[in-house]
Amino acid sequence: MSQFFNQYFNFNVMGEHFGEVLVHFLQNLLLFAVAAFLALIWGLVLAFLRQLPGRKLMPVRFVTIAYIDVFRAVPILILILMISGGVPFLTFLPHSVRIPEWFGRPDPFWYGVAALVIVYGAFTAEVYRAGIEAVPRGQVEAARSLGMSHFQAMRHVVIPQGITKIPAPMLNELISLLKDTTLISVISLSEAVLVSREVLAERLNSSALTLTAVFFLIIILPLARVVDKLIARSQLKITRGSHIEVA
Amino acid sequence: MADAMVKLQGVRKNFGQLEVLKGVDLDVAKGEVVCILGPSGSGKSTLLRCVNLLEPPEEGEIFVEGHDICRGPGSGTGEESWELDFVRQRVGMVFQQFNLFPHKTVMQNVTLAPRTVLGKPKAECEATARRLLERVGLGDKLDQYPERLSGGQQQRVAIARSLAMEPHVMLFDEVTSALDPELVKEVLDVMRELAEEGMTMLVVTHEMGFAREVGDQVVFMDGGVIVEQGKPADVLDNPREARTQKFLGLVLER
Repeated sequence: MSQFFNQYFNFNVMGEHFGEVLVHFLQNLLLFAVAAFLALIWGLVLAFLRQLPGRKLMPVRFVTIAYIDVFRAVPILILILMISGGVPFLTFLPHSVRIPEWFGRPDPFWYGVAALVIVYGAFTAEVYRAGIEAVPRGQVEAARSLGMSHFQAMRHVVIPQGITKIPAPMLNELISLLKDTTLISVISLSEAVLVSREVLAERLNSSALTLTAVFFLIIILPLARVVDKLIARSQLKITRGSHIEVA
Repeated sequence: MADAMVKLQGVRKNFGQLEVLKGVDLDVAKGEVVCILGPSGSGKSTLLRCVNLLEPPEEGEIFVEGHDICRGPGSGTGEESWELDFVRQRVGMVFQQFNLFPHKTVMQNVTLAPRTVLGKPKAECEATARRLLERVGLGDKLDQYPERLSGGQQQRVAIARSLAMEPHVMLFDEVTSALDPELVKEVLDVMRELAEEGMTMLVVTHEMGFAREVGDQVVFMDGGVIVEQGKPADVLDNPREARTQKFLGLVLER
């Protein structure tokens, strides 16, 4: 039993590598922040394209649905490997895209962001869609019968109501996204899991990985609580009738 | 023709295999109140929804103020802009379930469309809204959210919201059917006033008393066609058709 604790909960190993793991965990958080920001926007764009009305825009809807279906099905790891292993050889792309080193971040960081945004855009699009579709049909009909265009009805009537219905499922996606930032370690982005594995290789001890897991726990648990509160508050607002403007 | 505010010719509408409207002709003169009766599934709601193109008809023509709204430039699908802009700014609609915007106050419900669709200044929209809401007896509810209102009050807000777009024709789709019995009258009173002021109205309703008093014409629909139409006294008191007699027998028995 002491062997078990020594392997996973060796406080000496944790202590010695605490600073190193923490600094690299910030890399995961940065990756998360950038990818989440872009995925939330990209998902909204996809959800919007998916809802476009009319016969003429059918191809747009079709392509969007195909995109969402495909990238919800493809394992992110495969995508990460395909992007990092393939994009550098696409010589028709400019050098700064093939080997991106924007804002001083190394290229695996951006390959990782790309893979996460491509996949999580598809997932968040579905969450937005669920919110949009949860708004009763009569709301759109009322808006349209008042002369509003599809876009005006979406902007002033559907989206402000739909968005109050999505914080919980969206949080689940964001938590998954945060955890999936560890996958980028396979393309040598030095983040928390990568350095923890180096410790494992060096000391034959898993405690640094445990420490990394604890960092994730520390971030994710309160996040879940915060959003529980947000949901409770937004529901209170709905019953009182809230006024939420969406640009 | 010149007098017809709304004119339907051979209007057909299918939902998949189901034929809901099987060729409907109807003339509604300016200022006329037409009450449409019929059993559920007879197509009466669909008929209303065709007139403002919420459900574009498959076949036939609908004229609003002499313009064929199914054949405008850009045409026929009900998804193009010309007909929609033309129709929806002339034809107002009130729904059975009110469909007020729950995230907006009473005032915002009424001003939203004039502001976004017509681009009118806020102050002007609010002045109009205040006047309309006072007229429907809700001048003291401007800052309330719909949820705080009774069904009858919500429906009156919905009427004011529709009137804010200054429609030439109003469609009422079973607007009292979702209301508690004691709240029906306050809504019907507003509609009665509107009729007296000369609004052209198409009213799908089960309120026989309203149809009799306010209606200029009563239309009885069944199975996607107009079975009988005429003056309220004729249709309601001396129905010629067996189907009308049967329906009225069932409704008036209550």
